[in-house]
Amino acid sequence: MRNRTLVVVAALMLVAGVASAQTSGRWININVDEVSTGTKVEVHLPFDLVLNVLDGVDVDHFHSGHVDLGTDVDVDWPKVLGAVKDAPDGEYVKVQGPEEDVQVMKKAGTLFIHVTGKGEDKEIVDVQVPASVISSFTVDADNRIDVKALMQSLADLPSGDLVRVTSSDANVRVWIE
Amino acid sequence: MRERGISTFPAIILAAVAGLVTAVAMMDWMVVDVRTTGEDAVHLAIPFPLVVGEVAAAFLPEEAVRDMRVPVEARQHREQVLAALRTLAEMPDATLVRVETPDELVVITKEDDQLRVAVDADDATVRCTVPIAGVLDALESWDWETFDPGLVFDVLHAAPNGDLVRVEADDGTKVAITMW
Repeated sequence: MRNRTLVVVAALMLVAGVASAQTSGRWININVDEVSTGTKVEVHLPFDLVLNVLDGVDVDHFHSGHVDLGTDVDVDWPKVLGAVKDAPDGEYVKVQGPEEDVQVMKKAGTLFIHVTGKGEDKEIVDVQVPASVISSFTVDADNRIDVKALMQSLADLPSGDLVRVTSSDANVRVWIE
Repeated sequence: MRERGISTFPAIILAAVAGLVTAVAMMDWMVVDVRTTGEDAVHLAIPFPLVVGEVAAAFLPEEAVRDMRVPVEARQHREQVLAALRTLAEMPDATLVRVETPDELVVITKEDDQLRVAVDADDATVRCTVPIAGVLDALESWDWETFDPGLVFDVLHAAPNGDLVRVEADDGTKVAITMW
C-alpha cells in the first residue's frame, strides 16, 4: 500500500511537472487499463493546454498549481531532494521481501524506482525521475509542491515513459512524446 | 402590340419572393427537435432564425440582465480559460480523452475547429459539438461581469451546419438542436 501511495505521489508530481514544461507541440499521455472492472482510460493532452488550466484546477490536494502532500510527517524536503540530486549514480535501495522487491537506483542522473510485487496482483512498477525533475522540486512549509517551480526546468525533458505499472488488476502508463 | 414575356407585376412578385427566399436561406437557422414517447407522446420541431433570438434578447429589460452577475471566481480565471481555448484552437486534431467501461464509452475529440463529445451509454446516446473559435471569440469580447445573451448567439453563429446537440434516451426520447 505504501509503495502504491509512493507511486501515485511520484506519478502526480511527474505529471504535474511534465505538464508544466514549456514544451510546445509535446503531449502528455496517460493510459489506464483496469482489468477487473473492464475500464479503459486514455488521455492525450498537449502540454500547453494542461499548463494553461493548471492554475485553475481546484480539487482535493491540488490548489492553485500546488500539490498538497497531505502528510504530517516532518521531512526536510530541500535537504532530502538536494541529497538525492547530488548523490552519485548507484544502487541506493534494494529490498527483497516476501511481499515485494524494491529497487531504487540512480543512473546518468535519472532516478529509477522499480517494484516487483509478489502478491496476487503481481504488480510491477517502474518510475523514472529525471535529474531535471529532481532539481525542480520545491516543497514549502505547508508540505505543498510548487508546480510552477517545476515549469522552469522541465522544458527539455526527453520523450519516453515516466511511469509504468503492470499488474493482474490494472495497467497504467504515463509517457510523453 | 403586346410583347411576349413576363409582365411587370408578376416580375416584381417573383423578384420579391426570390429575395425573401435568398435572405431566409442566408440566415443562420436553429431547429430544436424534441420527441417523447408513451401515451403523452410529443413531437416538437421548432425552426427559427438566430436573428429573431438576437432581436428578442435585445429587448430584455436592462435590470433583469444587470442583476445576473457573474461570480468573481469566473472572472479570475478569464485569462486561463482564453489561453486554454487558444491552445485548443491551435492544436492538431486528436482524441483527447477516451473512457471505456462495460456500460459506457466517452470520447472527446478535437476535429477541425470543433470539440466533439460523444457518450454512448446503456441508457442514452449523447453527441455534442462545441465550436472552439466561436466560443473563444465570444468570451474574448465578453466583459465577464454581467450575463450577456448575445454570447449564446455569437457561439451559435459560429457553429457548423449539422447537429449541435443530439440526445437519444433508451425510452425513445430524442432531443436534437441542429444548425443550418
